[in-house]
Order: sequence, then C-alpha cells, then structure tokens
Amino acid sequence: MIKIKTPKLKTLESIKLHLDALFTGAKEAIKPGTITIEYPRERRKLPDNFRGYILFSPERCKSCWQCSFVCPANAIKMELASNNRYYPSIDYAKCIFCHFCIDTCPVTALKPTKIHDVVYKDLEEMYTPTELMVKPPKIVREEEVTVEYVMDGDIILKKSKELDELFPEIEPHVEIKEHSVCIDPESCIACGICEHSCPVEAITRETIGQERHLRIDIEKCYGCGICVRSCPMHVLKLVRIREEKA
Amino acid sequence: MSNTSSDTAAVETLEWKVRIPKKRIKDKAWMDLKKRVIDTGLCSHCSACAFVCPVQGIISLPDRGIDFPDWEERCIDCEGCLRVCHRWEYTPLSDLGEYIELIAAKSKRFKGQDGAMVTEFMASALEMGIIDRAIFVGRDEEWRPKIYHIRSVEQLRDTRISGTKYSYASVLPELKEAIRVTKKGIGVVGTPCIVTGLRKIQKEFKIFKDKVKLVVGLFCMENFYYDQLRAYLEKKGVDMRKLVKMDITRGKFIATMPDSEISFPVKEMDEIVPHGCERCTDFTDVLADVSVGSVGSKVGYSTVVVRTEIGKEILDYIREKRYAEFSNVIPDVIDKLIKLKKKRIKNIPGEYLTVAYKKDTEK
Repeated sequence: MIKIKTPKLKTLESIKLHLDALFTGAKEAIKPGTITIEYPRERRKLPDNFRGYILFSPERCKSCWQCSFVCPANAIKMELASNNRYYPSIDYAKCIFCHFCIDTCPVTALKPTKIHDVVYKDLEEMYTPTELMVKPPKIVREEEVTVEYVMDGDIILKKSKELDELFPEIEPHVEIKEHSVCIDPESCIACGICEHSCPVEAITRETIGQERHLRIDIEKCYGCGICVRSCPMHVLKLVRIREEKA
Repeated sequence: MSNTSSDTAAVETLEWKVRIPKKRIKDKAWMDLKKRVIDTGLCSHCSACAFVCPVQGIISLPDRGIDFPDWEERCIDCEGCLRVCHRWEYTPLSDLGEYIELIAAKSKRFKGQDGAMVTEFMASALEMGIIDRAIFVGRDEEWRPKIYHIRSVEQLRDTRISGTKYSYASVLPELKEAIRVTKKGIGVVGTPCIVTGLRKIQKEFKIFKDKVKLVVGLFCMENFYYDQLRAYLEKKGVDMRKLVKMDITRGKFIATMPDSEISFPVKEMDEIVPHGCERCTDFTDVLADVSVGSVGSKVGYSTVVVRTEIGKEILDYIREKRYAEFSNVIPDVIDKLIKLKKKRIKNIPGEYLTVAYKKDTEK
C-alpha cells in the first residue's frame, strides 16, 4: 500500500499557493472558463457529414434493397407499399448510425440529417415506417446560440447567434444505369411472374400459338431489379447500360 | 432482335421464346394435370411439378398424393407442370435399357443393405470432384423419409442414409435449392419415376442439364406412401422405432428388427400399392447414368448397370482405387422381374400413351 504524505510546506510557499487559489476563484467569478454546453439552450455545431436521423425520398428509390442488405444491425426492413413497391423502414432500436445505407444507395434516396435527439415513449415506437421517414420528426428548438469548440492552446467555446442547419445539402451520387436481361432463355418457364412484378410494364409476354414470346423493353426498364429477384428460375440479371456504340 | 454480346460467353438477350405444351382441356394448367394424370391414378409422385411450380403451390408430401389446394387463386397458368410431367404424355420405359457394363459389386468402404454401391458411386464422384453435393433420401428414427444434402465422403457413413425406405420422398423440389449453391455439380439418387421426371426437367430447362452431373437410379418394383406403409406394418406387428431393415426378396417382404423378423408375401400388400406404381413398367431405371439394385447378384452384392460415359468413368475410378469387390451378375433373375413389371402396361389406358411409343410397339 502506498501512503501519500501531506507535503510539508514552508509558511511562504503556503501563502503563495493560497493567494493563487483565491486569484483563480476571483477570475472564474468574473469570466467563467467552462466548456460545458448548456443543451438544449445551446446546441453544438455539427459537421455536415454527421451521422444522425435518416430521411427518405420515395420518388428517388428504385427498390433495389441494397440498404437492407448492407445494414449490419439488420435494422432496415423492406415494406410493401400500396403501389406494389418495396421501400425501407428503419428500426431505430437496432440502428447503429453507421450510415452504410446512405453510402450504398445508388440513387441518393436516403439522406443524412444532424438530428440525433429524438424522443420515443417505448421500443415499439422506435420502429419508423416508411411514411414517417419521408418527413423529419417534430422539432422543438430552444437554443438561441450555436457553440463550437475551438482549439487555441486551450479549449475555448465559441458562441454564435446563427443557428445550425440540421439538414445539410449532400451531393447526389452518380447514378448507375442498369437494365434487366435474360441470361438463360432455355431455362425460362415463361410463367409471367416477371411481367406482373415489373412496376413500369417493361416486360411483356405474349402467347402466339404454342409459343410464348417474352420481351424486355430497355426504354422503359429503369433497372429496379424486382423481376431479377422474383424470377423462380433465376434467369434474369441486371446489367449496366453500355456506352452507345459509335 | 437480340442483344447477344460477342465478348462474353454468357447469353444476354432481351427477347426470347418458350415453347409450351398444348392443353387438353380449357382450364388452368393445374386442372389439366389433375384431371389427366392425378385423378386417373397415373401420377408417379415424382414431384417434378412441385419442383417447377413458380408459385410453390403444388405440394408433395410423403404421406399423400400430389395436390394444389388453393389452385383457383394461386395457379398462374404457366403450364410449367405440364412441361415437366412425364406422364402427361406417357412413354412407358421397360427392359434393361442401353448399358456399357453390367456387373455385381460390393463396396469395401461402406456398409449398406446390399453392396452399398449407391453410396460408393456418390462417394467416388465426390472424391473425383465431379460433384460437390449429393442429394440422398435418408430417414428419421421412425423410417420417415428425409432429404439429406451430402457434401463430404464422411457424411455418407451415417447409417440412416443407406437402406431401402420404400416410401416416397420429395427429392426434386430439394434440387432447386441445391442448384443455387453448387459450384461443380449435383448428384441425385432416385427411383425410376424420380429419374424419369428429372430427365424431363433437364430436357426442358437447360440449367439442370448443366448442373446435375450424376444420376444414380435404383431398381424398383413399387414404392409406398409412408403413412400407409407404417399403418400396414404396424398391423403386422412391426415396431417402426426398432426396425433395422426392410427388404423384398423372392416375393416376400421382410422387416428385420434386432430381436425378431417378420415376413409375409409381398402380394398381400397390393392393397396399398399406389396407383402410379401399378402403371409403371420401368424396373431397372433405364434413364439413369448408373442403375443399382439387389436383384441379380449374390447376397451382399449389388447389381450395377453402368449406362453412360460418366458412370463408366466413376466405375473405372472405383476399380483403380480398389474400393469395391466385383462379381458376376445372374441376368435371368433380372429378366424375370423386368418381364413381371412390363406386364403392367395393360394398366395404362391407350389414350395416354404418346404417339412415339405407339409407333415403336407397332413395329
């Protein structure tokens, strides 16, 4: 066991230290040097790439499921919407805010925000269906100033009257254009499941005598890949649109 | 117009055609199949239709016939089931069929009902790297058939895989899952109906022609529905839990248990023989790569009929590695059973036979 002995100070040293303490106390009383942010009356300025609450734009989504595949926490569930398309929903009880989903989305349908302080009553409420992902949750902002930490030898709090923008503008990804093709026509049942699954009627099936003619219209096909997943014989595949031949 | 690329080997097309069979009745395809094949007792329960059904509505259970309970809503009339059914247009097969080699053999590595040559062929094919997955029909504690996916030679040492079960099993639907994960190829073991169904599937859908590399057929007189067989045997005093072996030899059904043996003439079982088997004439599994059975060889040996090049290749490998002992076949006994089963042709109504078959027999 180590015993720490009380340092034996000389009278002069003791007086000097006491004066130092009194001086620091007086200084703090006049101009405080605290770095604690008084949330929610103050809010810290966050970087634009902060990983917070996720917003969703259904008009951009092409139901490719990539976000649900990549989610390491299994928080994203694809839900069948009324227009027969699958859209993501997020369970924030599971979400680890890695934003892999946002990075994976080929069409920038998912967007990051700086919202990180949402209140839920229970775990069930943390499950956020697609409808609720379109708009941000109700926000009550009580802060009057935005604070920032500045390193200048010591940490200093910099306060500004300007409020932080919670919805940063992000640059959309370069869209990868794809369309569906048949890679094994000799294994096709011609069951027509692809035809029924296609949201834009790009696949047509026609019965002429004892033959069924199937056709993919690449003008209409926008590469959602729903037919690829629904084909029971796995004969469809998504391919990138080739450069126009000169 | 087709968008076939020249730089890649894979076909990529935007327009293609699929031939479909001509329906017999004006209703959804399932009703056609049901009226023509299932209701007439022609169905062999090979499960090819259940395998192909894109909406997975056709169910094949080991205890009853093929059915599609909610076909009215779910059947999408794709005619896939009609395309793969080998009895919708029936060409009955019989005789010993074409073969390269006919030999009796006994595996040194495995123990089975007879010579364990089915296991030996699959094990050798796995070792040679022809296949990376084999589908076997095993059993549970009560001899209920159960599908096993075999991926290594070691797994084949499980005694529940070998031995005759005399019950239907849905081998073909399982194949659809296996095809997706295999890299080299798949081996399938099956009765004549399963093999005939599989060959029809391979003819219609190219991917199965490419991926199913080895088909080992079994000699078969008849098969039973598990529940019916179990009820019948229990009536005779057989305890399914204690059962060690079932066998049919010299017209007798023999159920062996550790402490006793119950046997009775197989003729008595006629009442539970499914109709599909009464209309089957193929005893030696004519379409398989290799056919194996106990008939025609001495006790402890299996009769092996090697029919294709791939079968021959594996047999040569077995010979080279000295995995098996060989002996002679007694062809008379096989002939007798082939003729006995061929008589069942009278059970098939003429209108169901294909034109090709009728032409052949007229000659």
